[in-house]
Amino acid sequence: MYCVKCGVRLQDGAAKCPLCSTPVWNPDGAESGKTYPDTLPPRYKETIHGVLFIITMLCAVSVSVCLAICLRLYGTVSWSGYVALGVVLFYIVALLPAWFRHPIAEVFVPIDHAAAALYVLYICLKTGGNWFMSFAFPVIVASCLLSTAMICLLKYVKRDRLFIFGGFFILCGAFAVLVEFFEHISFGTQMFLWSLFPLAGFGAAGLLLLLAGTIPPLRHALVKRFFF
Amino acid sequence: MKKWYRLDTAALIFPAISQRDWCNVFRLSAGLTEEVEPEILQRAVDDLAPRFPSFFVTLHKGFFWYYLEQNRERVNVRADYAYPLTFMGKSELRRSCLRVLYFKNRIAVEFFHSITDGHGGIVFLCTLVARYLELKYGVDIPKGDMVRDLSQAPTKAELEDSFLHNAAEVAAGRKETTAYHMYGTPEADGFRHLTTGVVSSRALLDAAHGYKVSVTAFLAAVMARCIIEMQALELPLRRRRPVKITVAIDLRRFFKSDTLRNFVLVLNPGVDPRYGDYTLAELCSTIYHQICAGATRQNMAAMIAANVQPQKHVALRLAPLMVKNLVMDMVYRQSGESGGSLNVSNLGAVKLPAEMAPYVERLEFIIGPQRSYPNNCSLISCGEKTYINMIRNTRESELERRFFSSLVELGIAVDIESNTN
Repeated sequence: MYCVKCGVRLQDGAAKCPLCSTPVWNPDGAESGKTYPDTLPPRYKETIHGVLFIITMLCAVSVSVCLAICLRLYGTVSWSGYVALGVVLFYIVALLPAWFRHPIAEVFVPIDHAAAALYVLYICLKTGGNWFMSFAFPVIVASCLLSTAMICLLKYVKRDRLFIFGGFFILCGAFAVLVEFFEHISFGTQMFLWSLFPLAGFGAAGLLLLLAGTIPPLRHALVKRFFF
Repeated sequence: MKKWYRLDTAALIFPAISQRDWCNVFRLSAGLTEEVEPEILQRAVDDLAPRFPSFFVTLHKGFFWYYLEQNRERVNVRADYAYPLTFMGKSELRRSCLRVLYFKNRIAVEFFHSITDGHGGIVFLCTLVARYLELKYGVDIPKGDMVRDLSQAPTKAELEDSFLHNAAEVAAGRKETTAYHMYGTPEADGFRHLTTGVVSSRALLDAAHGYKVSVTAFLAAVMARCIIEMQALELPLRRRRPVKITVAIDLRRFFKSDTLRNFVLVLNPGVDPRYGDYTLAELCSTIYHQICAGATRQNMAAMIAANVQPQKHVALRLAPLMVKNLVMDMVYRQSGESGGSLNVSNLGAVKLPAEMAPYVERLEFIIGPQRSYPNNCSLISCGEKTYINMIRNTRESELERRFFSSLVELGIAVDIESNTN
């Protein structure tokens, strides 16, 4: 059998030309003599568990040393509490997902926010503040909802990316206003002192993306100008 | 006490440039007339271990260098997978630097490039197949250069690093213009498409001689023409890059050496398509003459020196392996693969002992895709046939189509086989 397009001779029973994918007419129904089996090799991925183990040990040692020095000097956990919980927060955010072969972002992002909330709560209690429930908690919850929603949309909705990013940018601007609002009611600062600037910037970028999503010629012009 | 070996000069680079999904492996295989029996093949592999100590090794990290250690574990033969040259990761290399595989009537050996080159590989494969035939059919196969005598101990010359003895006083520069690299849509899970073109050695030789060049130069020229055409469809004239074909040069042709370890260097002959159009005759001529001009004993010695001298530098020798890896990776990025668009690696005509000929139908030589470009080409001649293997890790088969169609247009009949039929 020959490929009518490439002119090469094909194996008996080949369903198509491997070079140009032209289907081959096989009136005798001859079976193809396979040159390789169908078995795929096991999926292989080098793990970095050894490196992670070393970093985990380093983190544990640094936390222990800080706590030991602090207890020895002051008889109580003072500054070392911030260090220890800071290291724990860093570990949860940066290293915990690396232990997993396929870390799920929409699970780890809320976990990271929860860890951050606990760290901020510790600081609030340690400094005798009463701003956690009125400021830090709602801000962290809003940030968590926004980022998790964005990750889920990007992961599960494969089209209309411009609308997703456009909406996300506008919500980022709104988030800045929300932060200032909670700042205002917690600390009595002036409202709309700084948040209108990010709102304007993010809002404009978001609107441009929404427009580009709606108007195909504008989208093509932007792609042509800014591709990389 | 386990015996250990330093990596030879060329081998040093391969562990350093390995990545989490890529490393430099090549395959040699023999197609027999009858189906392979795995038990007999396993016995043959076991019998080869004492004779080829530098092959039955594992790769380990020292503080300053990688080293190879004698592998006391048995290298188990195993069934082939859906594609050749599956990823050989660091954890596998710590267990073995070679694989022996079988499928139907094929015996294949995959080598991590740090242990040997194509010449050493073909000697290993021929000896393995000869031993297998001896065990299965009781044939007596004469021993020689291709089939080594298993009753003899390995010679010192077979294990030496021949680069060290043949370096010139002055090193050649590494400067190379960056060549055009193809790209494509990567296949999921590292799948490799293999397309084998079986052609008549006589027809190929006649076609090459028609242009007054060698087979390697002829095929490199045809390949260069295909790549030039593909680049022309993609880029405007002024943005095009030189198209250069990486050709492996066996240094045993120039220097007296019986080593079974690496002793090979590469040249990058090619043309710059921005300077104008080239006919195939012009491409053949320029590539052939560039190979001839580069592949001289003196030039090769100077190129060897460029690899050997950094190895002798005190500061580099004292640098921890991690630093060396970074430096070697950087050098490789700048002057390794960047100088070529694609490999055309020709292992030449392999002459098997007459006693083996009735049992061996074909030989194949396959090199894997490079780190920074997806296609590669390798060939070997056995008997009256030449087996041209083109491998890729992308979906698009445009280069293969152009290349093999070009051979057909030049009057060389091509039989195509593929692992994705």
